[in-house]
Amino acid sequence: MGRQNGKKIWSIMALCAMIGFLLLPVATSLNALASGGGEAPPAPAVKAEGEKKDEAKVEKGRDVYYKTEGIVSGAPAPKTVDGPRDYPRYNFESRVLLWFANQQHLYYGSFVLAVPIFCMIIEFMGVVTKDKAMAKKYDQLAYDFIKISLTAYSLTAILGGILIFTFLTLYPAFFGYLSSIFRPVMHIYALMFVAESGTLYIYYYGWDKMKEGFLKWIHLSMSVILNVIGTLLMMLANSWIGFMMSPAGVDEQGRFLGNIWHVIHTALWNPLNVHRILGNMAFGGGVVAAYAAYRFLSAKTDEERAHYDWMGYIAMALAVAFLIPLPFAGYWLMREVYAYRQQMGITLMGGLLAWLFIIQATMIGILFLSTNYYLWQALGRMRGAEKYQRYIKYLVFVLVCGFLIFITPHTMVMTPAELKAMGGQQHPVLGNYGVMSAKNGGINVIITTTVLSFIWYMRGNKEPMVPWKNFGNIFMGAFFGFAYVNIIWLAVYGYYIPANVRVGLSVPQVATTLSCLFFMTALNGFMLKGAKQMGPIEWGKISVRSQYAIIMLATAFTWMMGLMGYIRSSVRLFWHVNEIMRDNSPWAYTHTVGFAANMISFNVLFFWISILFVFWLGTLGAKKVPVNVKAHVPGRVPEPAHGH
Amino acid sequence: MEMMIIKAITNPIFWFALLAFGVVLLFVGKKMNILNNTAYAAMVSVVIVVAYFHIVDHYLMEMQGLDYWYLFRK
Repeated sequence: MGRQNGKKIWSIMALCAMIGFLLLPVATSLNALASGGGEAPPAPAVKAEGEKKDEAKVEKGRDVYYKTEGIVSGAPAPKTVDGPRDYPRYNFESRVLLWFANQQHLYYGSFVLAVPIFCMIIEFMGVVTKDKAMAKKYDQLAYDFIKISLTAYSLTAILGGILIFTFLTLYPAFFGYLSSIFRPVMHIYALMFVAESGTLYIYYYGWDKMKEGFLKWIHLSMSVILNVIGTLLMMLANSWIGFMMSPAGVDEQGRFLGNIWHVIHTALWNPLNVHRILGNMAFGGGVVAAYAAYRFLSAKTDEERAHYDWMGYIAMALAVAFLIPLPFAGYWLMREVYAYRQQMGITLMGGLLAWLFIIQATMIGILFLSTNYYLWQALGRMRGAEKYQRYIKYLVFVLVCGFLIFITPHTMVMTPAELKAMGGQQHPVLGNYGVMSAKNGGINVIITTTVLSFIWYMRGNKEPMVPWKNFGNIFMGAFFGFAYVNIIWLAVYGYYIPANVRVGLSVPQVATTLSCLFFMTALNGFMLKGAKQMGPIEWGKISVRSQYAIIMLATAFTWMMGLMGYIRSSVRLFWHVNEIMRDNSPWAYTHTVGFAANMISFNVLFFWISILFVFWLGTLGAKKVPVNVKAHVPGRVPEPAHGH
Repeated sequence: MEMMIIKAITNPIFWFALLAFGVVLLFVGKKMNILNNTAYAAMVSVVIVVAYFHIVDHYLMEMQGLDYWYLFRK
């Protein structure tokens, strides 16, 4: 009893320490924020003599974004020249080196920020599940997840160090300027990182010590704190890229005006935050699912296969849950980009970088096609799901139509002869699909179909038993049917109304898709209460192809993240900080699409080779434990293959 | 006559009334135990769903200061 109490006290102390860690950066920043984050104002005693003279020296500047006046508190952005002082270099393109270091750090950073969020969700599911066997399995799964991320965490820190050294070595003038602007929060970032590391290690190593009762809740609270710190860290990092794209808090010369909140809270900061959180989650889920697929494919026993099939399914479901709202967050980001600088939006989607968006559309399409394919394959491990098999071909047709419209370019690169033969830059028929009105329709049809596949999967081996099941099925059919009609109608309607009205049609289209997602998933849940099970989910008895679909999904996520990062960064064109600090290095030009694609592919390949190494390291410490799989029992999931 | 129809369908009150009618049909069907009748269920579902999507389209455009019924009014 006394020992138990001691444990409780230690746990509460650890939790308090973490909260202290969390509050520490805030406390240390209070002073900086109170003084506007800039340099300390001159002491009153100093200006006692000749006060008027001193005040005359105070220079004021106008914020380039907020249009407010502020006291100039920093040096102007340096005007760099191509030479060893501002751009020291090796015999290699510095931008490519920085690109590589940045991308690898981002991949690992995203992964280690996303996985603890999954752990939190799964651990919470384990705590609230009444079935003790299931609770144990969820707990084991959460532990497996955090174990994978721990090795990756060390690599993230190493890559972060490499990134800073790359900046300092190759872009000292730019890095010096950015550091001077963000100086009031630089130490907060560093302290947050320390807090994140401390919390993560206590969370991981305290797992076994705090596995029951009140202590488990303390442990779960630690995961919440861990994720709050992680998210704040990410938001701080986002403020730097937000500043580079849409600077605020500085005047036209780039001089800091004393308000650090303006520097952080730029026009694109919040859309970037939302987009990145969702993107990281989808990416993290994809990587964990790929890990499970890899273990499934290399499994020697049915028990192992069953466990990793289940793990892959959970990770995949989490990834898809965040993938579905991701395009909408992307639309919001683009909308804000257009609102901030219309030219920037045109460069992205209608100009220099437009072809990269066609590639992005292709990748998004691949993501959704892979997801649907996995779900259809997963129907195969359920008895009773055969009834849906004959309808899959119709879903394939709808998906392919949506996909083809979504990837149709507006104009083509052609030779003069081709141009003449076609009668213009736009194809007389297909050219009509190369506009946003059609593309919005295409992607919403794809997402709605994915929701439908998911609902079919949920009821694969179940037969609703509610008295109103016939009405429920018909209502659901009507809802999906008219949702498709509404999405397509809005897409077609867009061709007949002026552009300023048309632009708003994407919002009801998105709302239609989200209505299907939320209302129909909820209705399905109600209908499946007390449903009759047609047969068990036979974990592990899924086609090998499905696992390759998961690996495809994860690879497509990785590739798309690389692509989108490149697009976002390239849109600044020849600016380090948009319209404030010019990039005068020899590499201030936009690469060809081919070069960018090769570079992204190299980054993806490097990441996957290194993460496979991390996976392999994770298997070294694992001990085999006896497992007792009851894969044929309805609704049961197998025992985990490894112990702590 | 045509103008009156256009005026009616471009008014959100019409769609709210249709939605309310659909909900009333739903409760009537439940009370009379005919909700699982395929034809009745289909009718009720179509009324509710069509009204719902029109309300969504109308208000989400209005929220942005835009007119969903632009083409019809012109």
